[in-house]
Order: sequence, then structure tokens, then C-alpha cells
Amino acid sequence: MALIEAEGVHVRFGDRVVLEQVDLAVEEGELHGIMGPNGAGKTTFFNVLTGRVKPSRGRIRLAGEDLAGLSPHAIANKGVARSFQTMTLFDEFTARENVMIALPAFRARGFDVRRAVAGDTGFAQEADAVLASVGLAGRSAVIARQLPYGERRALEIAVALAQRPRVLCLDEPTSGLGIDGTQRLVELIGRIRANLTIVVIEHEMDFLFSLADRISVIHWGQVLARGTPRELQANEWVRRSNLGRFA
Amino acid sequence: MPHSANAARIVTPTMLVLWLALASAPLWIDAVGLYPYLGVEILIWSIYALAFNLVLGTSGLVSFGHGAYFGVGAYAFGLAQFNLSANLWICLGVATLAAGLAGLFVGLFISHRRGIYYAFMTIAFGQIFWTIAIKAYSLTGGEDGLLNIARLPADFGVVSFDISDNVGLYYFVLAVFVIVVAALWRLVHSPYGRVLAAIRQSETRAAHLGYPVWFYKLTVFALSAAISGLAGALFAMAQRAAFPDVMSVNLSGLVVMMTLVGGGLVSFWGPVIGVVTFLIARDVIGALTFAWMIYFGLLFMAIVLFRPEGIAGMARPLFARWR
Amino acid sequence: MLDLVPHLLNGLTLGLLFALIALGFMLIVGLMEQINLAHGSLFALGAYIALQFLGPKPPLPPELAAQWLALPLGWRYGLALLIAPCVAGIAGIAVEVCMRRTYGKDPLYGLLLTFGAAMVIEEGIRLTWGSRDHVLPLPPEVSGGFIFHGLIWSTYRFYAAGIAAAAIGLVWLLIEKTRTGAIIKAGAHDSEMVRALGIDLSKLRLGVFVFGTMLAAFAGIILAPIWGIRPHMGVDAVIPAFLIIVLGGVGSFWGSVMAALLVGLAIGLTGAYASEWSLLSIYILLVAVVSVRARGLFGKKSLLEA
Repeated sequence: MALIEAEGVHVRFGDRVVLEQVDLAVEEGELHGIMGPNGAGKTTFFNVLTGRVKPSRGRIRLAGEDLAGLSPHAIANKGVARSFQTMTLFDEFTARENVMIALPAFRARGFDVRRAVAGDTGFAQEADAVLASVGLAGRSAVIARQLPYGERRALEIAVALAQRPRVLCLDEPTSGLGIDGTQRLVELIGRIRANLTIVVIEHEMDFLFSLADRISVIHWGQVLARGTPRELQANEWVRRSNLGRFA
Repeated sequence: MPHSANAARIVTPTMLVLWLALASAPLWIDAVGLYPYLGVEILIWSIYALAFNLVLGTSGLVSFGHGAYFGVGAYAFGLAQFNLSANLWICLGVATLAAGLAGLFVGLFISHRRGIYYAFMTIAFGQIFWTIAIKAYSLTGGEDGLLNIARLPADFGVVSFDISDNVGLYYFVLAVFVIVVAALWRLVHSPYGRVLAAIRQSETRAAHLGYPVWFYKLTVFALSAAISGLAGALFAMAQRAAFPDVMSVNLSGLVVMMTLVGGGLVSFWGPVIGVVTFLIARDVIGALTFAWMIYFGLLFMAIVLFRPEGIAGMARPLFARWR
Repeated sequence: MLDLVPHLLNGLTLGLLFALIALGFMLIVGLMEQINLAHGSLFALGAYIALQFLGPKPPLPPELAAQWLALPLGWRYGLALLIAPCVAGIAGIAVEVCMRRTYGKDPLYGLLLTFGAAMVIEEGIRLTWGSRDHVLPLPPEVSGGFIFHGLIWSTYRFYAAGIAAAAIGLVWLLIEKTRTGAIIKAGAHDSEMVRALGIDLSKLRLGVFVFGTMLAAFAGIILAPIWGIRPHMGVDAVIPAFLIIVLGGVGSFWGSVMAALLVGLAIGLTGAYASEWSLLSIYILLVAVVSVRARGLFGKKSLLEA
């Protein structure tokens, strides 16, 4: 059984149909890529997965459990984490605080007013370990706003990782990164993917083709093609479309 | 508000210095040309502004109608005294509870809203409470106010303090201030306070991290309202009456202005700085010109435009070690 | 049933005047993407300035004042209807100049700034005219009442509704039928495009702000005899304006007018049953509407909500 699965998802904003009959299933441990041109509905699909947008029809299931109608925080609590294309960090917090607040242990104590966070070294250690895993060891005391762009991108992922998710959704993680940055990101995802199910939106084709187990192509709100990178390279439509620098 | 080196403490060096200065104030306040009642006002408004800043500075929510809860506290204190029991603790408890419940009720409507909508909803509720205070004559005395509210003795069982004179009341209000400051300091540095700070920076991210954002907004609003109500109850004692004007949009706006001018957006102490600055300047400058509120309004506009971090933010480089 | 007709007429009048206030408010929100909380205070200022012109001490040099007072009240009233909005427009310029720095920033800054501006204007009003209620002198042609079908009808309501409708018509002509109107609408959707057309966006914004202010001030003068002139009238006007653009959407002329009529009628009808509390109904209506619907202020989920 697929870990996370979308079935017949429709999304309409006013009279505009953004997603039409999207079916998609991601197996446990898989790294699933979603690609397609701008405005194809990729981010909207993520918004449906994570509860930001309610589909007008269709279902989202996590390990068989229906997530339809749940709010973002409830879906997050079930183990779906996401990063954002336009970075959404707590800019006034340090890198460590950004990660700390995402830890499930911290969330469990979210209504605790009796103890000070600063007196608790357990959180700090756990947060620093996550930071180290994305290559931000030693940067934990820096205010997020003051981090360079590439490190902010890494922090964006660290925050999602800190949630200990079952499914990690990354929205255009390479956006704005140069060739070096993208290369480092490939290495980072290579390191963390072992015990994780990852769905990643990306229009950087090299990036996706080198990482993904399977890829779905979304265009005009529909899944037009799906398969392994190898299969897609052979796909007539993908090869001919202007998507395929690869072809 | 950035994290302080003293975040884990209950009582910080700053608090100690401030409390000592305040405790000695009745000895020197006449000598500097001021008077004890001003001290009472400063402390009460400081409690109110600190409570308000839980919403504005800590959680990033703009409430233009906080006077409602201050007023509910003041009326509830008076009504409890007349109808329930002339016991100070019971009356303060009733006032705090009533304001907290009012905040909880309003919070249920507004906590799913953000930004502009949130602000307009708070104005609307503020006006509703204000109108009720004016029109419900039999309960509140209408525009005449609820008069003859007594300064009840602070009875600790073994000893009972008379706080009917201004100096006695000053020390009582100071004791409440001390407790509120220590409690709020701990609150803003607790996990709960940090989640609120996260919500201020990005509601979206906080929600996707699994935090029920609206419930945090609801609880902090109710809590802030409750403490505002406590301040209102103290104010009713100080004035020996409760009037509807504290609930008007002007006086609700005053606490916004004082908090922001003082630097509530960046500093825990901002609201207190703002209240001290405002009330002393009101007495000094207000004696010279009737247009004093206009000048304060213009100062507020200038601060919003040029220095949203307020006085505390501007002074920070000077007192870098002081927080 | 017939008893309700006067209240419906009141509601209609109120709605048309709200539409005037809301249209200016909407133009400003659309072009600046900032809320002007001082809009209501400028509305009040219009009423007070007209009051000053129609009172015993007009703000004019002595010789001119004597001539002015010699004019019949009807003439003075008509002229005040034109002059007072222009004077309020000058205050509007001052507000816009301050507000400029908030364009493109978090709308909460604009909200806080204009809240301060509203306080300053209202305090200025209190200092100049005091906190008590004033009555605007009206020419006999539009005051008084008449009896029709056994009910007393206020002439002024008909006059107010008529003049408000005429003003709305003029605004419609300006926005929908002139080149300037087309530019304003374009600017509200795409300020880059307006710049590309070689139009000075900051002048356009100033112009629209002043125009919006004048509309509000005009509505203030017409509404003054209905609400009474008091410092607090500003808040009572900005709340329905906001409510109307939440209901009608930003950028939709007829949407705003329809929403304004709806709000006016709702308030007029509550006035029929509980006149004491009728102003309260504006606030309750806002709470009710925003509780249910808080999207679409800008047609999409906008910056103003982030």
C-alpha cells in the first residue's frame, strides 16, 4: 500500500480549474518527483496534500487514513512536513530556534508556561543535531535573517526534517541556488533520503532525474505522464515537450 | 523580541533594579515635582500595557479594542464589590475572570482571522462593549459611571493592610506589578511564549509545523484580556469609580500608542517605558498645552514611519548589556 | 407594513451615503494596497468644516465674512458643500504624504500609521469644536417634513438620497467613462504597467487619495444632519466602509454600491426595532460578516492577510 496517495483530486478557484482528476501514489521510502511548467498546479497539489487548500473533490490518504478536511496543523501532526518555495522561516529566531520549535518534543510542550526554553539543553542539542545533518553545524546561533541564501535554503529543509516526518514535501528546494548550491543539495538529499519518504516539486530536470525513484509530470492540472526517470526519458510526450532539456 | 541572556531566570537584575527604584518612589516622588497618585497610574497602565503587548509584541496581533477588557475588569470589580462580597481578593478574581471570559468570547470570533480583518474585528468588538457600557444604565450607570467603588483592605488573614490612601494603594499595586512582571517574563520565554513568537513571524509555517495557531491566538487573547481586566480593577480602585471612556476607541488606541512608542515590538520593557514616558510627559507637557494629545499622536506616527522599534529599540545600543 | 417604509427610506439614504464613503475608501485600498483608517476622520472633518462655514464665525477675513454672512443660508450651504471637501482634501494630502512610506510594506504599518492620523485629526476636532454634539444649520428648502399617507416624512432624507445618488453617478462617470478612470483602474491591478505608460504613479496616488477624501468629506456634510456632528462619527463611518469592501470586493464599482445599500438597509431596519442601538448594528454586522467571510478583499488571498 502506498504511504501517501491522492485519488481524483479536483481543485477549483472560482471558475478556474487548477487541478483535475489528479491521482498519485507514493510508496514508503520512495523519492517521488513532481515536475511541470509554472502554473501547472504543482504547488496547489502540495497545498492540498498539506491541508492548506481543500480539494473540491477527491481524497488524500496517509497510510490508508483519509486526510480530507483536516487543517494544516492536524496533517502536520500526522507526519506530513513541507518546505516552502518562497522561504518561510522564523526570521527573527536563530537557526537553532527555528529547528527547535519544529521538534515534536517541543510541540508536545507547546502550552507549557512554567519552564523557560533557555533552561532546557535537551531541545538545543536535538536541534543542533538536525542542523548538523543539513550541513549547518556551528551556525545554530545565527539569526535566520542573517544567514546567506544557500544556508537559508538548507535551514528551510532542516525545519521540515526536525518534525520527524513520515512524508517530507519539498517545494522547489533548488530555487535560487546556483550550480554549487544545487550540487550540495543533491548530496544533502542523498544523505537524508534513506529513512524517509520524499515528494519533491522541481523544474530543475537534472536535479530530479538524478535523485527521483519515480516522477509525475503535471501540466494543465493533470498528471500527463509518470514513471521512472528512465521511462520518462523514453516518453514521447516528455521528449517533445519543451520541458525536456533532457531529451 | 530577541532572546535575553536572562531568559531562564524568574527574577532578572533589571527587574530588581526597577522594583527597588519603584519601591523607594514614595520617598522621592514629591521632591521631583510629581505625586504618588501618578505612581499608581503608571503602575496600573504598565500592567495593562504589558498585558496588551502579549498580543501586539509577542504574538504580532493588532488589537484596537483592548479598552473593552480593561473596562470590563473595572465594572466587574465595582459590581462584585456591591453585589457579591466586599473582599478584595474575591473582587479582583471576579474582575480578572470576567475580562478573561470576555476575551475568550471575542477570541472565538477573531482567532481565525489575520492582519487587517483581525484589527477591524477588535475595533468592532471594542465599540460593542463601549456602547453596552454607555447604554446599560442600570448595570453600569451609563455615562455617569459606576461610582463609590471602595479601596478595599488587603486582608492576608493574619494582617490586613489599609490601602485607602494613595501611598498604601501604590504599594499594593506595586506588589501586583511585581507578580505580573515576573509571570509574564517567564511566560514569554517559555515554550508557549516562543510558539507565540513563531506565530508572529509566520502563521503559515507555525501551522505546518503542527501548531493549532488559532487556539494559541485564542488563549493568548483571553489571557491578555484577563490581565487587562486585573489592571482595570486596580484602576477602578484608584479612581474610586468605573467610567465607560476607558473602553472608547481613543483610550484603546492610547495603549497601542504607548506600547509601540515605548518599543513593545522589540523589548519586554517597551510597554513600561512607553507608559512612563506618556504619563510623565502628559503631566509636564499637558500643563503647557491642550494640544498635547496631538503631539503624542504625531510622535506615534513618526515612530511607526521611522522607528517602529520605539524608544527601547533606539536605546538598545546604549544599554546593550542591560536587558 | 407601511410603517417600515420610512425605515427603508432611511436605510436607502444611509446606504447611498455609505457608498460614497466606501468608494473613496476602496479606490485608496485598490491603488495603495493600504487601509486608511483615517478615512472616517476625514469624513468627520468635512462635516465640521461645513459647520464652521455655516456657523456665526466663518473662517474668512473680516470683510469677506460679513459678505458671506449676508448671503442667504441656501447659498452658503451650497457653497460649503463644495468648499468643505476641498479643505478636507488638504488634510488628505498631509495624510497621503505620511502614508507614502508604507506603500509596499506590511499593511499593518499603514493600519497603525493611519490609526495615529485618525487620533490626531479627532483630537484636533475636539480641541477646535469641543466634544459635544453640534447641529448643522440647514436651508429651509431641504429641512422639515411632510405628511403622506398618514406618515411623517423627512424632506431631508429625500434630498440626501438624491444628492448622494447624483454624486455616485458622477463618480461612476469618472471611473468608468474617462481616461483617468481607466488609468486608476489599471493602476489598481498593475502599478508596473501604469509606470510603463509614463504616468507618474505617486501623483496619481496623491490625486486618488485626495479625491477619496473629498468624497468622504462630502458624505460627511450630507450625513451630518442625520447622525449629528460629534468627534466620534469618524469611527462609525470607517467601519461600514470596510464592511462594504469586504462584502462587495475591491475594484468592483457596482459591487460596492450594492453592498453599501445592503448595509444601509440592514442598519435602517434595525433602527426600526431598536433605535437606541441602531449604531451598534454596524459593529455587529461587521463581526457577523467577517466571521463568515474574510477572503476576497482583493479578489484573491492577498498581502493584506499575511
